Amino acid sequence: MTAVIAASNLSKWYGNVLGLNDVSLEVEEGITGLLGPNGAGKSTFMKLITGQMKPNIGTVTVRGQKVWNNPEVFSGIGFCPENDVFYEDVTGWEFLTGLLRFYGYAPAEIRERAARALDIVDLAKDKDRLIRGYSRGMRQRVKVAQAIAHDPEIVILDEPLSGLDPLGKRKLIKLIKDFKSEGRTVLVSSHVLPEIEALTSRIVLVHQGKILAQGDIPYIRELIEAHPHQISVRSSDPRALAARFLGDRSIQKMTFAADGRTLVVETHKRDDFFGRLTGVVLEDGIEVEEISSPDDNLQAVFEYLVGK
Amino acid sequence: MNTPRSIREIFGFFFFLGRRTGKTRVFALLGLIPVVLAVVVRIVLHGRSGDIAAVFTEILMVFFLQFYIVILALFYGTSVTAEEVENRTLSYLITRPLPKPAIILGKYAAYALLMFAMVAVSLTLSFFVMNAARLREPALYLTFLSYLGVLGLGILAYTAFFTFLGTVLKRAILVGLVFGFGWENVIQYFPGSTQRFSIVHYLKSLLPYRPAPGGGGKGVALLLFRLEPTSTLLAVLALIGIGAAFLALACWLFRMKEYLYEE
Repeated sequence: MTAVIAASNLSKWYGNVLGLNDVSLEVEEGITGLLGPNGAGKSTFMKLITGQMKPNIGTVTVRGQKVWNNPEVFSGIGFCPENDVFYEDVTGWEFLTGLLRFYGYAPAEIRERAARALDIVDLAKDKDRLIRGYSRGMRQRVKVAQAIAHDPEIVILDEPLSGLDPLGKRKLIKLIKDFKSEGRTVLVSSHVLPEIEALTSRIVLVHQGKILAQGDIPYIRELIEAHPHQISVRSSDPRALAARFLGDRSIQKMTFAADGRTLVVETHKRDDFFGRLTGVVLEDGIEVEEISSPDDNLQAVFEYLVGK
Repeated sequence: MNTPRSIREIFGFFFFLGRRTGKTRVFALLGLIPVVLAVVVRIVLHGRSGDIAAVFTEILMVFFLQFYIVILALFYGTSVTAEEVENRTLSYLITRPLPKPAIILGKYAAYALLMFAMVAVSLTLSFFVMNAARLREPALYLTFLSYLGVLGLGILAYTAFFTFLGTVLKRAILVGLVFGFGWENVIQYFPGSTQRFSIVHYLKSLLPYRPAPGGGGKGVALLLFRLEPTSTLLAVLALIGIGAAFLALACWLFRMKEYLYEE
């Protein structure tokens, strides 16, 4: 598949701080999730591909065209910034129609597009209220509306789900998925794994300005096999339990949690550990209250990969 | 979109936005000060029309030339770029198919017109209140238009300079204050050609009222003190040149520079 957005050896620094370090990435049609903790470099990457910043090193193109100081390219790009910022003294309708003027549409088309976009984000009935008076969720939605009102081929959303209530999140996730079915390219960032997981299986993990891993979720899950699994066992006698596993070579590390009742085990062979644990419990009669493994969710994969 | 169309659309958007802001309401209210002063002066100098002409130039034009248009241009001019960066709304503009210079030129034009409207209302009211007894004299209207023209040129030149400052500096307001109320205030009273390094010198050179030769004029002659006027044509050209040069610089810088939001 052809890359819609192509970044090659992209580096960006702010004084002595490295924002992005030698990042090469090709974004294809469909939804791509950019995942990383705050300060990882997601927003820097998005600002570079939307021409808000220019790279110190490397190149970035959208549909083969450079973006820095190339206004033509923005006819096909919709960008939703992360920051909760607006021209506050206007209504949602005025905000949208005002920004749509910058695409050269006729007044009737501006009105039509603004109405459609506000309708999509469920703000039609609040369109005449000042943005200043919008709730956080409404502000987030009007921000998305301005990104899609001109029907762009590429939609870039920086933390679009942040601040939304569960219902708002669900609606926006559905909307973003609809973009995909309409054949658009969507690049969406988040620091919350379940949000990205709900949107797409194609994810790019970013940390400390670098791409840590990229691929679909099964691929990312495979990566975890190179890292030890963490399993917590809460028991009436965690020390006796630990003693039974001391000679086990598959165990990398054992620690006791602060509550004094939980043994935390790190192992490469999770299934073997569970097999032995069952035997120990049965043989020694040690009471196990709870077994949990943070590795069972994607968050753990992410945390391992970023070295937390 | 081509550049002229982009400028027009930016102008329309920001002229609309500019009218809505609290800043505009505050500055419009500030414009009532000379109107109130005019009413007071009219009452005090009732029947002394010669004195009124002097008072207008010497006192009210000091307010307009050395305070009102400077403070307006400072706050609106620096905000052309700075407010977008400080409010982080720049992303909404530079991710649109607009040439970057069009953003500067469109906002500059919108704010300049807004300021001119405020100044024109204030000047009209104060001038005609003061000269209510001379409303039948055609010369009065020519004088009024001259004042309006001077202030209009002042707005264009000062706003261009402050737009440039706002584009190049992070704390442009502070530097602008030093320039507008320090440099401009001091340098104009220097003898010889030094005073030509101020914008206000060219504005004062265009004022229709001049003090009587040798006598320093009636009133306090504050505005025209030590003025060694430049010819009208040169003064107009200088003001247009200052405006065009700083606007061009601002456009060029805005195109080349990247603006980072402060965390």
